[in-house]
This record gives sequence, structure tokens and C-alpha cells, in this order.
Amino acid sequence: MKKGLQLFLGILTAIGGFFDIGNLVTAAQAGATFRFQLLWALALGTIIVIFLVEMSGRFAAVTKKSIPTGVREHFGVRVWIAPFAILVLLHFLTLAAELGGIAFALQLVTGISFQIWVLPVGVLVWLFLWRATFDAIEYSTATLGLIALCFVVAAFMYHPPRSDVLSGLLPSLPKQDGAKYWLYAVSIIGALIAPYMFYFYSSGAVEDEWDKSYLMVNRIVSITGMSFGAVITAAVIIMTGLVLHPLDIGVDSINQAAFVLTGAFPFWGFLLFAASMGIACTGAAAEVGLSLAYSTAQTFGWNWGESLEPKKDARFALTYTVAIVLAMLLMMLGIDPLKLTIYTMALNAMVLPIVSIPFLMLMNDGRLMREFTNGIFTNAATAIIVLISFVLFVVSIPLVIMGSG
Amino acid sequence: MHLFRELLDKQIEDRDDERMGRVDAIGVELRPGAPPRVVDIELGGVSIAARLHPRLEALAMRLHKKLGVRRSARYHIPWEKILDVNDDRVKVDVCADDTPAMDWEKWLRRHVIGKIPGASTEEEE
Amino acid sequence: MTGRRFYIHELIGRLVHDQAGQHVGRIFDVRAEERDGEMQIVEYYLGTAAALQRVGLSLLRVVGVHRLEPKTVPWDKLDLTDPARPVLID
Repeated sequence: MKKGLQLFLGILTAIGGFFDIGNLVTAAQAGATFRFQLLWALALGTIIVIFLVEMSGRFAAVTKKSIPTGVREHFGVRVWIAPFAILVLLHFLTLAAELGGIAFALQLVTGISFQIWVLPVGVLVWLFLWRATFDAIEYSTATLGLIALCFVVAAFMYHPPRSDVLSGLLPSLPKQDGAKYWLYAVSIIGALIAPYMFYFYSSGAVEDEWDKSYLMVNRIVSITGMSFGAVITAAVIIMTGLVLHPLDIGVDSINQAAFVLTGAFPFWGFLLFAASMGIACTGAAAEVGLSLAYSTAQTFGWNWGESLEPKKDARFALTYTVAIVLAMLLMMLGIDPLKLTIYTMALNAMVLPIVSIPFLMLMNDGRLMREFTNGIFTNAATAIIVLISFVLFVVSIPLVIMGSG
Repeated sequence: MHLFRELLDKQIEDRDDERMGRVDAIGVELRPGAPPRVVDIELGGVSIAARLHPRLEALAMRLHKKLGVRRSARYHIPWEKILDVNDDRVKVDVCADDTPAMDWEKWLRRHVIGKIPGASTEEEE
Repeated sequence: MTGRRFYIHELIGRLVHDQAGQHVGRIFDVRAEERDGEMQIVEYYLGTAAALQRVGLSLLRVVGVHRLEPKTVPWDKLDLTDPARPVLID
């Protein structure tokens, strides 16, 4: 019974919980500029994230350890410190982007600048973490996050030409804007594999005291949850591809993307878009903030746990508090949330090898994982993932330096 | 016991299972004519910094002195205080709250986190 | 404490030479045992490959190569007068 519920909630969390500003912005940009041509990047990123999430859940269930704990204990602090520092930076930038996303959603509805909205928004997210327990956060963001399924409904209502969608799933070379094409491809993948997703997932599994009996739950949740979650992102690409691409305007601000739903839901479309964006980003912001605090506490061996009162784990609570305050300040400076998102997501993809390779090694360590080490299939897939991430790493450096072209 | 693989960087828990830090360093005594022996385990930001780079160590030490929150930069737990070592943790016979390992935690509780409304459902002691 | 104090992490990854000055390998772990109420160092593990052999081995295992036997050196065969330059005594 408990497992059945866990399975249901887990899938819900994976669908609703992991659609965020990164997915929304990268998908909207890709659809508006290249129609369906970048759907393959989405498919590829989804496969990678399924493997990463499944492995991090399995690691937690078998060893009862989170990834930072595992890597530091196994390889020592000298090896872990660089990935950890990168992880902190990425979490911080992602947190700022998510706060920017919520504030932008409010700007869409009210016309008041996101720079002003970011203040109450940051306080709200902080209050959420300060007062709520882990389960409350996980399940409320998951359930509310399902509102983003309206993108999928709308995409179907637009009757996209099926053959065009399918051909987008095959990688093809762009006719123009080469640099932009690859930057967007890298950002789409980077948004899907944002490290907070599998770090948060593994900490959650430890916090929920998963054991080996959860391995099947873990596998089903990671495959179905991540696939369904990707469908939402695909819907955004398809809608923007149908609505914005013919207008040849691209997405230079989220304002334009906000109109993609009005064709399907004439009156409610605009509000629905803002609500989906605001809610998805709120959930993600909470998850990113928590993931950062978890990783930091685990790295240094502090007491951690979202279900504790802040006073019982002051350093844990301080970590997310400081991160939220700094992220608010960054957004108040007036950084364009769109650009911040695209570059942060590209950065995610870039550092995937550094962040994931020590962890992938642990997955093959028989002393830790016993009979649950990676099988040949997973290892082959893993080797390909590492290879792809390395290629992404090499490809994305010049793209990020050159800018979006 | 393999000191690098099984002891260094492990989670330390006090006698009440309270997490108090990690084994940031292992101190060994070199003796003429007898095998070297493990004297203590250390925890603290300075101990971590020392493992990364001597410059970082100096910086961490300066910071430690300037802030003056923690009683000692490197907190040593003598080997005699170690109760048990397993895959998940090193259990030590101390009370975390009385040690320098928790100085920062307690300082933050008192001066920062505890000052924010809603930090605790219990009344201030 | 009568003897000189040093840290285990100072040894990890250290290159060991023999008395003739030849490279023997790098220390990648240290084994200790409880004896006479103390935790005494019994032996050192030397790898012939890279500094962080454990990291390397895990990587090799990913592609299916299994553990190479490490070289073990008893405590009294390693001169740690200068922990930065351990010397193997024959």
C-alpha cells in the first residue's frame, strides 16, 4: 500500500516537479527559432536524465547515502571539492533563474516589473522552505505542477503535423544560425539534466529512508516520470514552433511565448501560461534551494533534514536563506532572466562530466553497491552519456563565449 | 581498517547519534622503533582547507581568528573516544553540543536563525 | 605525545622511492589495526599506476578491467623521516 502510494506520488513528482524555467525557456526559444528541429535534443536529454535519476535513486536505496556523501567518503575531499564548488554555483544561478521566472509570470499578469516582484517572491519561497516539511514541499509542488499539463492539452488542440514532429526527433543540421542552433540544443539538454534534479532526488530518497525494496519503484518513477515530464517540454516546443516560428520573431522575451496558449484557450490562455510558469518555477525554486542546502550539509557532515525545525539545523537553514537572498539581489540588479536561464542551462550541460563522473564510478564499485552495480547495458549507456557530455562540454564552450549569435 | 578508504571523510556522530561533522583529518604519531599510531581525528574548516592547499589553510586560519566564534580551529577527538566505526559513520563518545564542532551551529542558532520568527515551535530556553 | 605528528592525508598519493632512488609506486591507502589498546599502522598500500589509483581503478572497472593486486609494504619497511619523501627500506 505504502509502495503503491509512493509510486504514484513519485511519478507525479517527476512529472510536475521537474518542469521549470530552464525547460520552458529553452523549449520556447528552440521552437520559435527552429520549429520542431530540436526535438531530438529533448529526446536525447530525456534519455540521459532517466539514467542519471535512476542511478541516483538506486545509489540512495542501496547505500543509504546521498551523492555528495558517497563521493566525499569514497574519493576524499580533494576530489569532491571542485564538483561541489561548481554545483553550488549552478544551484545558485538556477535558483536566481527560477525566482526570475516566478517574478516574470507575475509581471505578465500585473504589468509591474519583475525586478520589483522578485522581492516578495523570494520571501515567499524562503517562507515555504522555512515552515514546510519535506513531504509537504515535494507533494504540493508536484501536484500543483501538473497545471503545466495544459501545455500538452493545448499542443494537441493545435493538431501539429505528425510527420514534422517525428522528423524533428532525428538530428539534422540547421540551414542557418548554426551557433544559435547548437547553443539551444546544448541548453535544452542542460535544462533536462540540471544537477539539482538528481541531487534532490537522491537526498529525497535518503530522507524517505528508501531501501532495496524501492528499486522497482525507483526504476518506474525515473522512466515514466521523466518521460511524461519531457512531454510537457515537447509540447512547449511544438506550440512555439506552430505559433511563433511562422511569425519569424523568435522569443526575445517571455511576453511573446505567453501568447502560445491563447489559440487553444482564447480567454484563459494568457493567465494559464502565467500560472503554469509561476507555479512550476516556485516548485523548482524550492527544490533547488533545498538541494543546495542538502549538498552543503552532506559535504561537511552537518545535521540536515527539511523536516527538522530551522533551529535544530541552523547551518542547513542558513544555507538556503543566504542563497535565496543573494539570488534575489542578482535578479534585482536587472539581469535578463531569459539570458541567465539559457546560459545557466548551457553551463549545466558543460559541467555534466565533472559533476557526474565521480558518481558514475561509485555506481560501479562493488564494495558500495554490491550486486546492484551498473549492468553492462547501463554502463554502455553511461559510457555514451559521458562521451556525449564531453562533446557537449567541448562544443558549448565556444558557443557560450560567442554568445547567442 | 583502511584509514583512507574507511575512516577519512566519514560522517562523525556523537553518543546521541547527532551528526557533528566529518573526519577531516587523521593525526598519526611517528615513533622510533614502534609502529606509527593513530592519535586522533580532526574536524574543522581549517583541517579541510589544509588538505586542499596551504594558502587556503592560512586564509581559513586568518578567518577563524578574525571571526572568533569557534573555540579552536582544529578540533581533535582522541582515538580513545572512538566507540565504533562502520560503513555509515564514526561514533564518538562525546556530546556534540559541548564541542567546538558545534560552536558555529550554536552561534547561528542564538544570533541569526533563532532570531527569525518561526525558527522553533518550542519556547526560548 | 612523544613522537612526531603527521597526517594520513599527507601520505596519500605520495611517491615512494627505494634506497637507490628508483620509483616504487604511490601510497593509496594505509591499513591500521587495534593492538595493545592502540590503533597501529600495519602496512601501506602502494599502487604502480597513477597517484589516485583508486579513482583510476574504479574507472577501469567501468570498462570491465578488474583490480590489480596492490603492493603492500609493512610499517617498518617504510622510512617516513621526511613524510613528503617516503623511502622503501629493503
